[in-house]
Amino acid sequence: MSDTGRPPAISVRNLTKVYGDEADGGVRAVSDLSLDIETGTVVGLLGPNGAGKTTAIKCMLGLVVPTTGEVSIHGIDVHTETRRAYRRVAAMLEGARNVYWRLSVRENLDFFASLGGQERAEARTRQNRLLEQLGLAEKADTPVNDLSRGMKQKASLAATLSRGTDVVFLDEPTLGLDVESSLELRRELRRLAERESMTIVLSSHDMDVVEDVCDRVVIVDDGEIVADDTVENLIDLFRTQSYRLVLGGEVPSNTRETLESTYEAAEWEQLGDDGRIDRTRVTVSVADGDELYDLLGLLRRDGVSLRNIDSVDPDLAEVFLGLTDRSGGPNVRPNQSPASGESTESPESPVAIDASESVSDGGDQ
Amino acid sequence: MSDSTKSVPVVTSGFRPWFRLLAAIARKQFTLLVRYPINTISQLFGLYVFFALIFFGGQAVGGAAFGESLAAIIVGFFLFTMTIVAYSGLAWDVTREAQWGTLEQLFMSPFGFGRVMAAKAAVNVCFSLLWGGVILLSMLVTTGQSLSVNLVTVLPVGVLTIASALGVGFVFAGLALVYKRIENLFQLIQFAFVALIAAPVDAVPALRLLPLAQGSALLREAMTQGTQLWEFQAFEVGMLVLTAVGYLAIGAYVFGRASRRARRLGVLGQY
Repeated sequence: MSDTGRPPAISVRNLTKVYGDEADGGVRAVSDLSLDIETGTVVGLLGPNGAGKTTAIKCMLGLVVPTTGEVSIHGIDVHTETRRAYRRVAAMLEGARNVYWRLSVRENLDFFASLGGQERAEARTRQNRLLEQLGLAEKADTPVNDLSRGMKQKASLAATLSRGTDVVFLDEPTLGLDVESSLELRRELRRLAERESMTIVLSSHDMDVVEDVCDRVVIVDDGEIVADDTVENLIDLFRTQSYRLVLGGEVPSNTRETLESTYEAAEWEQLGDDGRIDRTRVTVSVADGDELYDLLGLLRRDGVSLRNIDSVDPDLAEVFLGLTDRSGGPNVRPNQSPASGESTESPESPVAIDASESVSDGGDQ
Repeated sequence: MSDSTKSVPVVTSGFRPWFRLLAAIARKQFTLLVRYPINTISQLFGLYVFFALIFFGGQAVGGAAFGESLAAIIVGFFLFTMTIVAYSGLAWDVTREAQWGTLEQLFMSPFGFGRVMAAKAAVNVCFSLLWGGVILLSMLVTTGQSLSVNLVTVLPVGVLTIASALGVGFVFAGLALVYKRIENLFQLIQFAFVALIAAPVDAVPALRLLPLAQGSALLREAMTQGTQLWEFQAFEVGMLVLTAVGYLAIGAYVFGRASRRARRLGVLGQY
């Protein structure tokens, strides 16, 4: 239950989905996933390909029966009270594929509103507003097949919103949209959440969209939640941990070894003019300010001059790569308590990231 | 967007919402038919050409003997047309909806997937009657044959006959949900319908238990001999109702089980 005493818009408890028999080569797509999503929030569900987010979304929508676990939408169990739950939730899956391309935009909106059990006249008013808001009014009577990729995407989104539900799942909603349309859509999603208390779960590979729109980000990898926090907190976890140093001349091999083993030095680059190396650029990671001083002390001790130092500000993409261990390098890593080496918890929400394995339990909140 | 886009109460129980769903599905089907008229006309024309080949070929080969069985052939072809339209409207549609990516949207209707598919089936029956009527008229004009088309008899007998084929359609729609690419099987079943429509139920009474067979015999009698609905033996009509309800129930059961299995396997929307 939330602070208001009302059930969360979406509640997922111990959701596990195993395809086939695990003992016989079956695949565990989702593993013991738990989360609550409050009404009126926009949550980004991220994960690399094959991480289990599509299965998780489809389990949350009742389209895939989980092996174990429960999902409820506004307190209604999706798997036992399916029809009731579908009064509250709609989804745009597989991009623009979830509309009839041979029907016009308006015909699609009509159809999906009726499929959602709405009065036609009432639905029409909503549709007209949606068409205006999404810039589809002029194309309302055009068959979807004749629209551009971006317009198809918008038509698909309009059809989903035409159901008038208060919980919406959007899979790659900005795929194929031009910059202007993407920005418009982001504004619209924020407005729907803030002014109309719509709860939106958004899955996207576009980190800019997620960073712009989402109140909270859930990162899934190997079927498990590896991070669950606000965008700001997630970025903070990675902020100021990495520095780009420009050192004078070539770095002695013993210093280089220490930098690599202690400070995860990477991205070595030798700089200079006319074939003469006079600087070395390297990115290092430190746990905190004390460790940075230790690093500077090491350089001084080994006689390596420091020409320049910049902090590397991570973005959500780097956070994502760091948490899902797909960064290809050690320069991005989550914050960790220097004293204990244990995970750092955000005071606002219960992200818990194990620095060594990049695994957290975003379950109980 | 303003208040007009906020969530509104959803009503799915009672006659009016059900009628709205039926109307929406019918409108969609009709729009798809008229938006691509060449496709629709070519399908109708294909069926007509098929009949014309049988008719003119039969006349050339069979002569007068062919004429004696012409009325039965027309009734059989009329029923075959309606059956194909109703059956494929379910079995093929599930495959197409999965290809289009709209199947999961149908599943997510608050009416329930079963009801949505039932509404689709009801609309398919209406369309099958329409197509059957057009083909029947074309056949009668081409052959100069006259038949008794008493709607009070032909409609209920026709609908009950098609209902058993719908049951088969639900079974194969369910199989398509789980096994996906089974179009070849769909086509084989269409050939089986020809045999069922022509089944000699008088000679082998047990054949009445098969889909289409009993209805085909009654429809043939009604249209060639002018027998009215109330003139059939109660047993004959009872058998027709039994097969219609029975096959529909089996179809609905299999479809329900299959959609559950497809959700368990995570393949509902896949193609």
